[in-house]
Amino acid sequence: MDFANIADKALLWIVLLPLFGAVINGVFGRFADKSMVTLVGVGSVAGAFVLSLFSFFHLVGLKGALGDDVAITNEVYHWFSLYLGSSEIPINVTFVFDSLSGIMAMVVTGIGLLIHIYSIEYMADDPGYARFFTYLNLFMASMLILIFGSSMPVMFVGWEGVGLCSYLLIGFWYENGSYAAAGKKAFIVNRIGDFGVLLGMFVLMMATRSLEFDDINAAASSLGTPFYFGTFELGATATVASLLLFLGCTGKSAQIPLFVWLPDAMAGPTPVSALIHAATMVTSGVYLACRLSPVFMESATAMAVIAVVGALTALVAASIALVQNQMKRILAYSTVSQLGFMFAAVGTGAFTAGIFHVYTHAFFKACLFLGAGAVMHAVHAHGDADVRKLGGLRTKLPVIHWTFLVSCLAISGFPLFSGWFSKDEILLGAINATMFWEQAWLGWLVYVILVAAATMTAFYMFRLYFLVFWGTYRSAKVEVEAEEDSSPGASIPPPGHEDDHGYDPNPHRPHAAIAGVLSVLGVGAIVAGTVNLEPLLHLLHVHVDIAGAENGNIWGTWLSGTVVHFVPAGEGVGALSYLAAVGGTLATATGIGLAYVWYFKEGRMPMAQVTGFAKVLMNKWYVDEFYDATIVRGSKALAVFAAAIDKYLIDGILARASALGVSLISWLATRPQNGVMHSYAALMVVGLAVIGWWFTHPHTNLDGVATRSDVTWTTGRGLGYEYRWDIDDDGEADTEWSAEGNSASHTYGHDDWVGYALIFDGNRTGESEEIFLDDSVVVLTESDIGRGWEADPEAGTTPPSFRVDEDEIVFLKNDARARVRGGDAEVEERLHPGDTVQVGSLNVRIGAVVRASLEVRNSFGNVARDTSEVVIQPAPRTREVAALEAVPATQGGAR
Amino acid sequence: MGIEIGLGEYLALASVIFGIGAMGFLTRRNMLIQLMSIELMLNSVNVMLVAFNRYMPENHTGQIFAFFVIAVAAAEAAVGLAIVISLFRLKQTVETDKADALRH
Repeated sequence: MDFANIADKALLWIVLLPLFGAVINGVFGRFADKSMVTLVGVGSVAGAFVLSLFSFFHLVGLKGALGDDVAITNEVYHWFSLYLGSSEIPINVTFVFDSLSGIMAMVVTGIGLLIHIYSIEYMADDPGYARFFTYLNLFMASMLILIFGSSMPVMFVGWEGVGLCSYLLIGFWYENGSYAAAGKKAFIVNRIGDFGVLLGMFVLMMATRSLEFDDINAAASSLGTPFYFGTFELGATATVASLLLFLGCTGKSAQIPLFVWLPDAMAGPTPVSALIHAATMVTSGVYLACRLSPVFMESATAMAVIAVVGALTALVAASIALVQNQMKRILAYSTVSQLGFMFAAVGTGAFTAGIFHVYTHAFFKACLFLGAGAVMHAVHAHGDADVRKLGGLRTKLPVIHWTFLVSCLAISGFPLFSGWFSKDEILLGAINATMFWEQAWLGWLVYVILVAAATMTAFYMFRLYFLVFWGTYRSAKVEVEAEEDSSPGASIPPPGHEDDHGYDPNPHRPHAAIAGVLSVLGVGAIVAGTVNLEPLLHLLHVHVDIAGAENGNIWGTWLSGTVVHFVPAGEGVGALSYLAAVGGTLATATGIGLAYVWYFKEGRMPMAQVTGFAKVLMNKWYVDEFYDATIVRGSKALAVFAAAIDKYLIDGILARASALGVSLISWLATRPQNGVMHSYAALMVVGLAVIGWWFTHPHTNLDGVATRSDVTWTTGRGLGYEYRWDIDDDGEADTEWSAEGNSASHTYGHDDWVGYALIFDGNRTGESEEIFLDDSVVVLTESDIGRGWEADPEAGTTPPSFRVDEDEIVFLKNDARARVRGGDAEVEERLHPGDTVQVGSLNVRIGAVVRASLEVRNSFGNVARDTSEVVIQPAPRTREVAALEAVPATQGGAR
Repeated sequence: MGIEIGLGEYLALASVIFGIGAMGFLTRRNMLIQLMSIELMLNSVNVMLVAFNRYMPENHTGQIFAFFVIAVAAAEAAVGLAIVISLFRLKQTVETDKADALRH
């Protein structure tokens, strides 16, 4: 048994199992028993997880044996090829399991499996049970394709697939109009980002002539060259590509300016929010950036944009989360904020820290969402749970309480919890970035913003925690006036909406599935950070190497083969790491302390009426309103304008005018059909007269076929035709009139040539092409030549050219590479028919033009004359023949 | 000095008769007259066929073909007259420009 072979196959089945699960449940699920749906839906993901685990350990073994940049690959099939100029770009469906995609696969299948198990209990009473698992499995398959794809198009298939599943699952309860609208909003906002991904892909393809991640990364150092849009210089290729790809990331990973869809995406069932909109899909932007980290690292400009945008997103989303009152909504803004942290890490060159935060965040955020879902399930809240109506659940729901608490500690960055490790790495990355950019203040700016955002994070998470789990259970007695709509999209809700009901006064405890999953994730939220002990060991002044990784940095060592990382050099690096740890821990302490004082000791409640700046935060900085006023209304105005053009210009003028034209022609055409018999007869007579006239004259179609210097001329036969040839077109007939001579052959000599021609062979169409040379100069273009010569407008290179000089053809090779008679061409070559020039991948043969004429006579005595030319290719002249021919050529002066 | 009648004269006669028939067919509105004009044209062709036959004495293709033409002409006259009668019953006239029910 070939162990490696099994690992390759396993890779394919990791993707196929959830896909088959989706197909089976999608087709048969609605007829099948619920336990069967569960078996297929959860079993397929469990299988994928087991196979991922197997592949992961196999990879660990391989890395030990072969070094850091090994990968398990499985070439599934050749999908299609693109052609760019003369170069072929094959697109293969190849799956790669390397250190980066391995981590992502473990997170996706691991967290995914837990959330599938959770859903068994959470969705148990939903009529769309089978549909739910179909979509979830389809999502798993798409996400795994995204992760495993070795090239950008395959990755993009997964990218679009997860977008589709996100749309389907946000609008899972599509009977509710606002939920369906939230799904559409997510999809449309993501389209904008996808457009950026596609353009970025094209830019990279143009620059590197490949779409494989490996090739692109290998060519990253050459991407500093300027990128032209037409003749307009957009900037360095790396900058253009990185920013376009980052536009895609802002859509998929909910960054400014495209983050608006993620909070509304909470309309979907809570397991969806946990899996897709917290743990996995929204991190695919970070994954893409890490996958192409060498390209991003090439452009300091793009990195600065990404870092600042990420940091600002972290701050803005955290500020909104401060005042929200819906559990899932708070967590949604928290997710946006944490994604901002990840992008700040990416932008500051700390790619491994970004992916580290993806990994730890997956545990605690999934745990938080699932905990929120469990609370909603327990109190029978519909849509979302209002924190003002909860409280005191600590004793009623102990498992949820404890897991929620540890996850809150983790996300707040409480020391030794998983979030502390990853957030510390991100802050350190921001400080290190002061050495990455020429403008050191950028790094400090990012650091300060991130610390502020981290403070807010700790505050709003513990505000949520204290409001939900401490105090007294308020739902039974308090009828809180709704301050906010639970439905997405609306900012100022109408009073007395559907969510304005009391919750179940006796919350029921979760069963085994939910409790078990929460416990596993809770443990993960505590210990997940231990794979990177470097910051801790560093602070403790301990230096130990663990598992072959220097100073406990297992994470960074593990990823070193796939992700590049900005490594600061110089003095004082060690001191900076204290600054990161102190800043992060202070932020945590401040946030938690403030929340403790306000919401635990003083027992404050969220304000019934928000005023001032809080109102701005409550209304999410009015970003939705701003987009509605500008982009949505602008699009609608454009649509109205386009509709008017369609209605009045296309339908009104163009369609009506062409219809009028057709009816006019048909009116004219029907006039002869007037029912008057003798007018029909008259038309018939006229027609017969024309045909009769045509028959009284002979007609020819002279055509020649050349084989070297021999040409066979042929023309069509006709009744009573006789032929007379002047085969060398010298004005004197060469044959007598003959009824049989519709074909003639002749071997043409040097004196018969009437001109010269170029014959192009082997250009990319594969067909040969003839160009007759007259007095003008023939200049070859880039598309003629293909590879081997490319126009460079900057350097002012000139392409090769041909012209006729007396009885020779002058070839100037200019700046191209050309070969003549088996050797490199001189600057100026004088050529004769029969010679061949090789320019790039193009063969140019020199041909001569010969001419024949023919007279045709029919029985009426009418004569027609026809002349035709054809390109012949004489054998190349040897030097001796050239010398002999030189004499008659000068004496005769034939032409 | 007698006139020698050769092929040319026969062809001239046939052409003249054909021309009279064609002009009659094209210019007259009365369907009966038009039928007669068609007969004239057919017969001019018969004259020509028979005249050419003299230059191909080894077989009598031309003459036999003339008989075919006569047979076809008879059939055509029968059909044509039936149409004339039907047209008259329908329109109370045999003017062809009144029979324009199938125009555009």
